Parts: sequence; structure tokens; C-alpha cells
Amino acid sequence: MDLKLDHRTEDRLTIVEVEGEIDVYTAPRLRELLIDLVNKGNFHLLVNMEKVDFLDSTGLGVLVGGLKRVRAHDGSLELVCTQERILKIFRITGLTKVFGIYASVDEAKEAHGKDK
Amino acid sequence: MTDETVTPTEEVSGAVPGDVAGIRDAVSVRLPAVSAYLSVLRTATAGLAARLDFTLDQIEDLRIAVDEACAMLLRHAVPGTDLTAEFELTGQEMSVRVEVATVGVTVPKRDDFAWMVLTALADDVDAVSDSPDHMAIVLRKRRGAARPA
Repeated sequence: MDLKLDHRTEDRLTIVEVEGEIDVYTAPRLRELLIDLVNKGNFHLLVNMEKVDFLDSTGLGVLVGGLKRVRAHDGSLELVCTQERILKIFRITGLTKVFGIYASVDEAKEAHGKDK
Repeated sequence: MTDETVTPTEEVSGAVPGDVAGIRDAVSVRLPAVSAYLSVLRTATAGLAARLDFTLDQIEDLRIAVDEACAMLLRHAVPGTDLTAEFELTGQEMSVRVEVATVGVTVPKRDDFAWMVLTALADDVDAVSDSPDHMAIVLRKRRGAARPA
């Protein structure tokens, strides 16, 4: 399965929907999307990974790169993920302490609203 | 390490072939050394792991581990060459050797996310540098070995 990407903006939060497999082949597309969103002034990103079937360290690198970019603009990059097999990769690399990880888009929006 | 010659058939000494008597459970996969083919290799990995009755979690671990090892190698692969993956299945263990042709680089980086994930998910990982123009990684996973997430 390939990678499908979509995004929408609600209030000040840009929600990136990711579906499929994020590996060394597909990750550059996600990287380009994140860079493009930041270049267009979207500094608060929420990446929904609930439909991600596969994630490797290349994908982690892209997300960390995105986080660095938004932080340079006092922004945020947070994740929606409840899949144990995906969360495991974040835990192995210690990135659960770096990213805000929420159980649903609504939960993330609520938390984001409180931070404003 | 550079003086050692590691070949998959010798590595798993005393290995009992698969359940079917007389069949050596060894599978070689050769693919173009480009990232577009990694999903094919992940699928093959999962199929072979299922033959050993690995749990779903262990199959997923192997899929990711093989993917990480190959992703590390592909960064250094000579364009236009192949990536080879040699799987050897014994009663309790799967051993996978992945290898590419390189120019000058024989040892993968060990300080990045890829190595961290690979070594966490496999039970044993060795970077094998038995040739000046090849880079290989051998990983093993045992069925019974429980590892914390």
C-alpha cells in the first residue's frame, strides 16, 4: 500500500491525515508536505496517524524534522496515534517524550485550544 | 571482524531444517537496491515469519527490523545493483542477512534511529564487513524470546 496524504485547517490547527505506509520510499512525500505547510505559515500541525499501517525510523526522522521547523516559529507538531505497533517505535526511540501524542483528533484539538 | 567470513549456511550451525524432512528452509530474495522495493521485502519477511508460527507482534518486529536494516544499506548501495536478502528458518529462529554493493563504506552508522530500532526489535544484530565493497547486516529473531517493548 502506498501513502495517502491530506490536510485541512480548523481554527489555527492544520490537521494532516496520513494513510498507508511511511518508509524510506514514501517518507519524502510527507517531508515535502510538512515543509510546504510550514512555508505557507501553518505552524500548528496535528498529524493523524490512525490509518498508518507501517512506520519506520525514516518516518520518525521526517516527523522530528517537522517538529524542528514549527518550533522555529513557536509552533507545534503533535500526533494522534493509538496503535500499539506504531507507538512502540516512538517508545524505542524515546520520542514519546518529545511529541504530544493524543488518542483522537478531538482530544488533540481540545488540548490545543487550552494552550492558546 | 574483517577477517571473518560469515555465510548464512554456516552461521546457523546445527540447524534443523523446516518441518518437512529433507527440505532446507532457506530463501533468497534479490531485488533492485532501491527503496520502492522495500515493501515487497517486508511482505516476504512477514510470510516467512508466519511459517515459524511467530506471534503477530514478533512478525511485525521482524518486518520493521528487516526494513530498518535495508534502509540503512540502501543509503550506501551502488546505483543499478541489487539488494539480496537471505532468510534461514530453523525450528525456533529466523536469521536474515541483507547485503548491498557499496563503494568504500562497509559499516553502517550505529548512532541513529534506524540502528536503535533495529537492535531493539531483533534479538541479535551484526554488521558484517567481510568484503571491502559490500555492506551486510545479519539479524536474528527467536520465537520464544520475549523482549520488552
